[in-house]
Amino acid sequence: MNKCERKKILTGLAFLTPNILGVLLFTIFPVVFSLFMAFSNWDLKQHNRFLTDHIQYVGLDNIRELFTDGRFLRFFGNTLFFMMGIPFAVAGSLLAAIMLSKDTRGGGGRPYRWLLASVGLVVSCSLLAVGGMRSTGMTVLMVGLVSSILIAGVTGGKSVYRTLFYTPNFVSGVATFILWKKLFNTQNGPINNALQPVLDHVASGVNALPSPMVSYLMWLGFVLILLLFYMGTGYLRRMLVDGELGRIAALLPLIALCLPIWVACRWSLSSPHAWLLLVGAVVCLGLQMMHYYKAEDHYTARAGDGFGSALILCLLVMVGEFVLLGLSQVAWHLPAMAADGLESPRWLTDVNWAKPSLMAMGLWGALGSNNMLLYLAALTNVPGELYEAADIDGATSLQRFWHITWPQLAATTFFIFVMSTIGGLQGGFEMARVMTSGGPAGATTTLSYYIYQEGFETGRLGFASAVAWALFALVFSVTLFNWKFGNRYAND
Amino acid sequence: MPTIENKQHQNLAVDRKRFVGATVLNLVLTGLSFLLVLPFLWMVLTSFKQLSEVGADSWLPSEGLQWRNYAKVFEQVPFLRFYWNSLFIAACVTFLQVFTSSMAAFAFSRLQWRGRDKVFMLYLSTMMLPGLVMMIPNYQIMIELGLVDTMIGLVIPAAFSAFGTFLMRQFMLAIPSSLDEAAQIDGANKWRLYWDVILPLSRPGLVTLAIFTFMGSYNSFFWPLVMVKSEHKYTLPIGLLYFDSSAGQETNLLMAAVTMSVLPMIIVFVVLQKKLVAGIQLGAVKG
Repeated sequence: MNKCERKKILTGLAFLTPNILGVLLFTIFPVVFSLFMAFSNWDLKQHNRFLTDHIQYVGLDNIRELFTDGRFLRFFGNTLFFMMGIPFAVAGSLLAAIMLSKDTRGGGGRPYRWLLASVGLVVSCSLLAVGGMRSTGMTVLMVGLVSSILIAGVTGGKSVYRTLFYTPNFVSGVATFILWKKLFNTQNGPINNALQPVLDHVASGVNALPSPMVSYLMWLGFVLILLLFYMGTGYLRRMLVDGELGRIAALLPLIALCLPIWVACRWSLSSPHAWLLLVGAVVCLGLQMMHYYKAEDHYTARAGDGFGSALILCLLVMVGEFVLLGLSQVAWHLPAMAADGLESPRWLTDVNWAKPSLMAMGLWGALGSNNMLLYLAALTNVPGELYEAADIDGATSLQRFWHITWPQLAATTFFIFVMSTIGGLQGGFEMARVMTSGGPAGATTTLSYYIYQEGFETGRLGFASAVAWALFALVFSVTLFNWKFGNRYAND
Repeated sequence: MPTIENKQHQNLAVDRKRFVGATVLNLVLTGLSFLLVLPFLWMVLTSFKQLSEVGADSWLPSEGLQWRNYAKVFEQVPFLRFYWNSLFIAACVTFLQVFTSSMAAFAFSRLQWRGRDKVFMLYLSTMMLPGLVMMIPNYQIMIELGLVDTMIGLVIPAAFSAFGTFLMRQFMLAIPSSLDEAAQIDGANKWRLYWDVILPLSRPGLVTLAIFTFMGSYNSFFWPLVMVKSEHKYTLPIGLLYFDSSAGQETNLLMAAVTMSVLPMIIVFVVLQKKLVAGIQLGAVKG
C-alpha cells in the first residue's frame, strides 16, 4: 500500500516537473529573493562588477523612505486618480452589454423589413444630400462610414457591433498608444483640429450672451450634485434601517459620496462658492440622520454586511457627482475664459490635462472590453421569467433594470470591480512609457512606472523591490476584501 | 369579426413599438461604433499622406495614395524582422506553455495522489502575485544565466504559468472519469492516458489557452523592453517604440508602421472571434 502510494505521488510529480521547475525558478524564488532585496541597499551604481561594495541589510530604511520621500505617495495618488476611471469604464461596458443583448431587429418579421427599408431610405437620402451639397471629401467620408456601419449592423446583426466595440480593446498596446499620442498632438492633431472651430463658436456664443447667464448654470450643477448626494445617502440610510447594511460597512461608501464635495472645496480650479456645496451636504446628511433616528423599526445587520453592493452603487453616484462638478466649474469659468477666445487643451503636455487625456483613451478601449463580454454572458443567464413577471406587473424599463437586471448582475459587477481594481493598481506602465515618459512633471507616473524607473533606469534594485512589495500589499488587501465580501454572491 | 380586427390592431401596435425600439437601438449602436472606429480611420488615411499634409484639416490624402510610405518603413527599420521575432517568440511561448500547463493540469485533475490539493492551492496563490514583483529578481537571474538579449531569455520565463494550469484543469475536470477507467482496462499507462485520451478531449481548452497565450506574448512589452538590447532582436512593440523615438516627427511613416502592426491583429480577431469570445467568457466565469 505504502509503495503504491509513493508511486502515485511520483507519477503525479513527474507530470508536474516541467511546470513546477519553471514556477519555482521564475515565480517562487524571485518573490522570496525580492523580499530580501526590499530590505537591502542594493544599488547598481555601488554594487556592480567594478565596484564591489557589499550589499547591506538596511532594515526598514526603504520602507521609511517610501513614506517620507513623498514621491511614492504622489505616484500612488496618480494611480488612484487613474483608477477613478474604473466606474466610468464599468458603467460604459454595462451599457454596451445591455444594448448588445437587446434585439436589434425588432423581433424579425415585419418590423425588420421596415427597418431595412427605412435604413435604405435614410442612407440613400443622406448620400443624395451629400452629393447635392457642395460637399468636401471629409463629409463624404464621414457619411459613407456611418452609412456602411449602419447597413452592416442592420443586415449583419449584433455581432457586427460587438466586433466593432471589441476591436479597440483587442488591439490595444504600443501601437494604439502611439496612435493616440498623435491624435492628442497639440499643434495639428486631429482632435484639436476638430475642436478649435467648435471652441471658437462657443467662445463667440458665450461672449454674445450676458455674462452672468452662463455662470449661473453652475448653481444648477450644484443643486444636481446635492440631489445626487441626497439620493445616495438616502439609499444608504434605507439599507441601514432595513438591516441590509452594517454600520462599519457603510463608512467607505459614505466617504465615496463625500469625496467629490471634498475635492470641490480643495481643488484649485473650483469656484469660490464651493463651500456652499459643503453646507448643502451637511444639511443633507443632517436630514438623513433625522430620518434615520425617526424610523420606527431598526433592523441591525452584522458590521460588514452589504458592503459590496453599497460601495459599487456609491462609486457610480460618485462618478455622477464628479461629472456634474466638472461641468459646473466649466460653466463658471467659461465667460472669463471665452473673453479672449478659447484655446483647445494641450492634452498630454499639460499637467492638469495629462491624466484625463489618458483616461479618455482608456475609456475608448474599455467600452467593448472583456468586461462587456462578461456582462453579455451574465445577461443571458438572467431568467426570462423575472422579466415576464415584471411585465405583468406593468414595470417600466427603468424599474426592470433597477429591480431585476442590476441585482442579478451583482456578482458579475463585484467580480469586475475587484479585477479592475487589481489591474488598475498595477496599471499605467505602458501608457507612461510610450506616451508621456511619466510626465509632465510626473503627472502620469503610476506605481508600476515608478518601479520600472527605480529598478531599471536608476538601478536602485533594493528600493524598487520595496515599492513592488508595497504594491503587492495593496493588491493583496483587495484580494482579501474579495474573499471576505465576494463569497456572499458566490453562495447566492 | 371585431375581435380579429382588434388583435390585428394590437399586433400592429406591438410591431410599431418594436420597430421604433430597434431603430433607436441601431442608431445609437452605429453612433458609438463610429466613434470607436474613427481613430483607426485617421490612422489608415494618415499613413497614405505626404508629410506636408499630415496636419491638414482634411483627413483625406490629397496628393494621391503614398504607398511609398510603407516601403520607406521597411527601408528605415527591419520591420519584417520584428514581425518574425514577435511571431517566433509567441509561437515558442505558446507551445511550451500549453504543453507544460496541460501536463500539470493532468496531474492536478486526473491523477490521485496525496498532497495534490495542497500543491494546487499553492499554485493558485501564485496567481495573486503581481508580475512586477518578479521582474527585478528575474532580470538578475537572467544576468547570472547570461541570457540577457537572447531569444531564450525572452521565451523561458513566460513558458510556465499558473493561470494556464488553472484553466486547463477546469477543462479536464469536465471530462468524465469513466474514460480513465476504460483506458486503464485497455492497459494504457498514465502517459498514454494523457496523450491519447485527455489531450484530444480537451482541445477546446487547449485552443482557448493557446490563443490567450499567443496574444499575450505578441503584445508583451515590459519583459522584452528590459531584456532586448540589439535591434535585430526587437519584437514588434519594442521596434515600434524605437521607431517612434527615431522617426517620431514623420507621422505618416509612423502611422504606416502602426497600421502594419494593428491590421494583422484585427484580421485575426475577426476570424477567430467566436472562439475568443467564448474563451474569454469561460475563462473569466470559471476564474
